[in-house]
Amino acid sequence: MSLKSERRGIHVDQSELLCKKGCGYYGNPAWQGFCSKCWREEYHKARQKQIQEDWELAERLQREEEEAFASSHSTQGAQSLTFSKFEEKKTNEKTRKVTTVKKFFSASSRTGAKKVAQEKNLKQGQLGRERNADNILRDLKEIFTPSWELASPTEEIQEAKAPSPSINRQASIETDRVSKEFIEFLKTYHKPGQDIYKQCKMFLEAMHHKRELSIEEQSECAQDFYQNVAEKLQTRWKVSPERVEKAMDQIEKYIMTRLYKYVFCPETTDDEKKDLVVQRRIRALHWVTPQMLCVPVNEEIPEVSDMVVKAITDIIEMDSKRVPRDKLACITKCSKHIFNAIKITKNEPASADDFLPTLIYIVLKGNPPRLQSNIQYITRFCNPSRLMTGEDGYYFTNLCCAVAFIEKLDAQSLNLSQEDFDRYMSGQTSPKKQESENWSPDVCLGVKQMYKNLDLLSQLNERQERIVSEAKKLERDLIDWTDGITKEVQDIVEKYPLEIKPKNQALAAIDSENVENDKLPPPLQPQVYAG
Amino acid sequence: MAAAAPGGRSFSFKVVLLGEGCVGKTSLVLRYCENKFNDKHITTLQASFLTKKLNIGGKRVNLAIWDTAGQERFHALGPIYYRDSNGAILVYDITDEDSFQKVKNWVKELRKMLGNEICLCIVGNKIDLEKERHVSVQEAETYAESVGAKHYHTSAKQNKGIEELFLDLCKRMIETAQVDERARGNGSSQSGTARRGVQIIDDEPQVQSSGGCCSSG
Repeated sequence: MSLKSERRGIHVDQSELLCKKGCGYYGNPAWQGFCSKCWREEYHKARQKQIQEDWELAERLQREEEEAFASSHSTQGAQSLTFSKFEEKKTNEKTRKVTTVKKFFSASSRTGAKKVAQEKNLKQGQLGRERNADNILRDLKEIFTPSWELASPTEEIQEAKAPSPSINRQASIETDRVSKEFIEFLKTYHKPGQDIYKQCKMFLEAMHHKRELSIEEQSECAQDFYQNVAEKLQTRWKVSPERVEKAMDQIEKYIMTRLYKYVFCPETTDDEKKDLVVQRRIRALHWVTPQMLCVPVNEEIPEVSDMVVKAITDIIEMDSKRVPRDKLACITKCSKHIFNAIKITKNEPASADDFLPTLIYIVLKGNPPRLQSNIQYITRFCNPSRLMTGEDGYYFTNLCCAVAFIEKLDAQSLNLSQEDFDRYMSGQTSPKKQESENWSPDVCLGVKQMYKNLDLLSQLNERQERIVSEAKKLERDLIDWTDGITKEVQDIVEKYPLEIKPKNQALAAIDSENVENDKLPPPLQPQVYAG
Repeated sequence: MAAAAPGGRSFSFKVVLLGEGCVGKTSLVLRYCENKFNDKHITTLQASFLTKKLNIGGKRVNLAIWDTAGQERFHALGPIYYRDSNGAILVYDITDEDSFQKVKNWVKELRKMLGNEICLCIVGNKIDLEKERHVSVQEAETYAESVGAKHYHTSAKQNKGIEELFLDLCKRMIETAQVDERARGNGSSQSGTARRGVQIIDDEPQVQSSGGCCSSG
């Protein structure tokens, strides 16, 4: 397609006269080569886009201004000066990069938007390298590609959480807050701080291009980054180990807040499927009692049940955190509550023999959301030194153990017979029903009452059934009885049939024969004598 | 990297504690870190994860001791616990033959999973109950030697042999770490160090109460 200069009008080919959208009508250079109808459509879309973009830009500018204002206020003198300069330089750099990166984007065809990309390339070809068509090209690209794909890297990174401001407003605010804090924090590190900032930016940009790699490769990159930065801080900047650790925490927070969305439970893995499997598994195991797991926690003590509830809350809360370290902190908090519960019950420090079963029990009761995803995410993107030897690492390992145990749990591991286990799993019976008499440990009052009422109801039901069956029996008896009587009567009637014998007449005849009766004197009347 | 000033080195080691329930794993660490036995005044909330800072010949060592659940039903979870650990303490009860058999199982597993990089200590606990001994000293020591482990006798109750056990283990782990480091090439500690679990940190000596103090949390 050698469509060079329609505007200069040296070689005007038939095809060039047609509308660029390929609708078959003729285009007009005044409408950027579109026909009137297509032009109006495109123009309208582009305008809308432009308005939205302007709005975003204004918002960002304001934010930056605020930031600059805040930083110039908080620290005065040379330091803040250098820092804002550094910031300025950074922004300049960003703007310079915009064009090249954009080219990169338009060239790469994204899997999700292959069709879009093809269309885009076509448009590009037609528009060629016409300078005056650049604007429309940009507009078009905006129209045909999702905004996040098109954004410059800086926008992308700054608003990694907020492709469109209205949707993810909340996340964007958090991201901004985190980066503000990060910058504030780095100021205390002076020169190395600037270096760290630069490194992080570079890393985030690099990660952006690696989004299509497998999650393991991305994890590898993150781990390498942690290691390189830590090493650099130690060897080049001679920062003390404590401060390195602090800085590493902040770096982790900064980069992971930004990357979270892309690397947590990514579509390329089956993390989500595993989550669902675990969730279903835990639901199926709802009948497991603390006694079966030998949990050394007595929930009848109010303080203990309080601790258990807190532990469950903590482990559920883990999913809401974005930074691996914050997630680990939730696990640690949960573990501390478990230890407290054990300590109150047993009055001695908890060993792993006590702790692991209790943690398993808490996980079973809490059924924390996206358990596998969270574990995978922490394993892949947490600063490794923390996972290796630290206390957080220990509790995290225990959580992994708990999940592994729950996945593989069988009759033997609960000291149950296979038949019992199968029956409980299929939901035919529940161990709770059987021991409802001494049933109380881990239920709130309402549930306890409910179980009692259920018991009562089943008793009543039984009685009712008995009454009904008795009544039926009675009815049957009555029917039988009447039948019996009827039969008996019939038998008797049959046996002794009623015969009207002429004898009766004979008797009358006897009387009638007594003719002289009327001749007899009347019978004596009783007489009263006065005496 | 190799030319670190004495006192400027610090090692972080992870040590797992393995053994059947009731062999006294917990008592052992509590005795070591808190110097208490079955005491109502034990301040620590838990005895499953304890740390101890040591100073061995100018080398600072951070020891993280990971207790593991010893019940049979959790046996399969072992590898998750002892991944990346530098040392393992395998405890058995000298009055309980079964617990010694368990130790043998653990050793086999550990060697299979971690090879020779892990320092193994086999510990016969409860030597205060010598009269009821069911595992012969000879047998235990021969076995330990055959698998490249060291054997110790301890009593958490009487506080015997515990200090020695941990000190010895630390020395061996330092040695292993140094050999490992040398093998990896001088100085160019590229990726791998931190991720393999041993962190060798060069730093300025700082004032810190070393040795004896235990902090968890």
